[in-house]
Amino acid sequence: MTRTMQICKAFIVAGLLETLRRKDLYVVLILTVLMVAGAWMFGFFGVRGLEVFIRDVTLSAIGVFSTILTIMIAGRQVPEEIARKTIYPLMARPITRWQILLGKWLTASITSILCFLVLAALGRALLMAFGIPVGPIFYQYLLLKQVGLLWLSAMTVALSVYMTPAANITICLILAFGSGIFTRFTLLWHGETGATGASLNFLYGLLPHYDFFDLGAKVTYAWPPIGAVIVLSLAAYGILGSFLWLGVGWLRFRKAVL
Amino acid sequence: MTPILVENLVIEYKRAFRKPIRAVNSLSFQVGKAEIVGFLGVNGAGKTSTIKGLMGFQPLTSGAIQIFDLPVGNVEARSKIGFLPETATYSPYLTPFETLRLYGQLNGLSGKTLRHRIEALLEEVGISDRARTLNRQLSKGMLQRVGIAQALLCEPRLLIMDEMSSGLDPVGRRDLRDLMQRQRSNGVTVFFSSHDISEVESLCDRILVIHQGRLIAERTVSELRGRVRSVEDYFIAMVQSGVDPLCEAAA
Repeated sequence: MTRTMQICKAFIVAGLLETLRRKDLYVVLILTVLMVAGAWMFGFFGVRGLEVFIRDVTLSAIGVFSTILTIMIAGRQVPEEIARKTIYPLMARPITRWQILLGKWLTASITSILCFLVLAALGRALLMAFGIPVGPIFYQYLLLKQVGLLWLSAMTVALSVYMTPAANITICLILAFGSGIFTRFTLLWHGETGATGASLNFLYGLLPHYDFFDLGAKVTYAWPPIGAVIVLSLAAYGILGSFLWLGVGWLRFRKAVL
Repeated sequence: MTPILVENLVIEYKRAFRKPIRAVNSLSFQVGKAEIVGFLGVNGAGKTSTIKGLMGFQPLTSGAIQIFDLPVGNVEARSKIGFLPETATYSPYLTPFETLRLYGQLNGLSGKTLRHRIEALLEEVGISDRARTLNRQLSKGMLQRVGIAQALLCEPRLLIMDEMSSGLDPVGRRDLRDLMQRQRSNGVTVFFSSHDISEVESLCDRILVIHQGRLIAERTVSELRGRVRSVEDYFIAMVQSGVDPLCEAAA
């Protein structure tokens, strides 16, 4: 376990250095500037009576930007090592392919979470500057979103060993942004009973639910905090789902011809 | 413990709806301790496939490979191997120092031990003045030196090098030869592929020649020196005819 932690730490440090030098964080900063500029316009015209709208815009921007960044960062972790052939000196080390996959997932997750926290801190600061309250549910939103990014990174890393980078990023974007739609679509037939109902419920359970981790709408409409049991259950679902995705990726990666 | 033992190795590349390509065919050989063995063959002869098989990157269709009496791909066996890949590419966003630090940490090294080892190696391969330059700003030869340093990082007992002097200038090639001789005198086994016959001749104890996936010759360099006019002519005659000219002459 200690050895695996040491391997993951080595990957994370190198990954963060790469991210800094690739100027990925510049993207976050540009997006941040856009958010500030948008907010300034609201400030210019006045925000009275627009609290819900501004919370909605801020949280939607944070959600969309962090999701796209996560998919882009996680989607390149393994394919880029293979494309530039740096995977060979890595695999020549006394480490297993599972440890490589785990290290890459943690690198992507931590980088994405850092980007998300930068965006979220800025969003919170802007709302505070306008005197718009968010309530304690905002902190639950932060926590669950981070779990969601772990889950999304795992899905993207796992699928990246099955398909080309372009196909992977497209599929992951559809699954991430479409997960809310899948849920609603399935619920249309929720009244069904018997075999049809069972199949639809099974499908509902099977489809990836990134939307479960997004409490943005609840923050927008100033809901009270949700129960600790629900938060913990969702966190457990996210972590379990992450390892399931990594298992899916490992099934292919352990025997992949590189 | 035998550093490398290959028995009846077959490596095939599967293709959808078509016959698989057989890159390596019934290959058997052995490399002993502190030996320097050159692996020769024309492009597409099966050298890189064999090396990928030795490193466990490529699944074996049949046959067996043992590294220090352990099955290929074994994590413990890999801790004794230093590997230089055919293409010396390392993360363009890291420096040579950071690249070696990553590989050292993956090898289980850390702290001052690792730092001193990296500094010594960068000095040994002649790029200590570029230790903090990004890899993308280094020339091909310099990247090859980074590659050699990463291969030597864990003080391996076996060095497997694919096209080891690729991109190096004449001074770099001579330094590399000296480095390999020093490694051998420390008991390290060296197995490398190369297209540079003079390098092979000056460095190796033994050569293996592979042609269309099959081993067609296995000779010591001292044996060849007494029997052929030049190793280069011998090699070219062999790959053109597909048989060892010395066997033909004896027949």
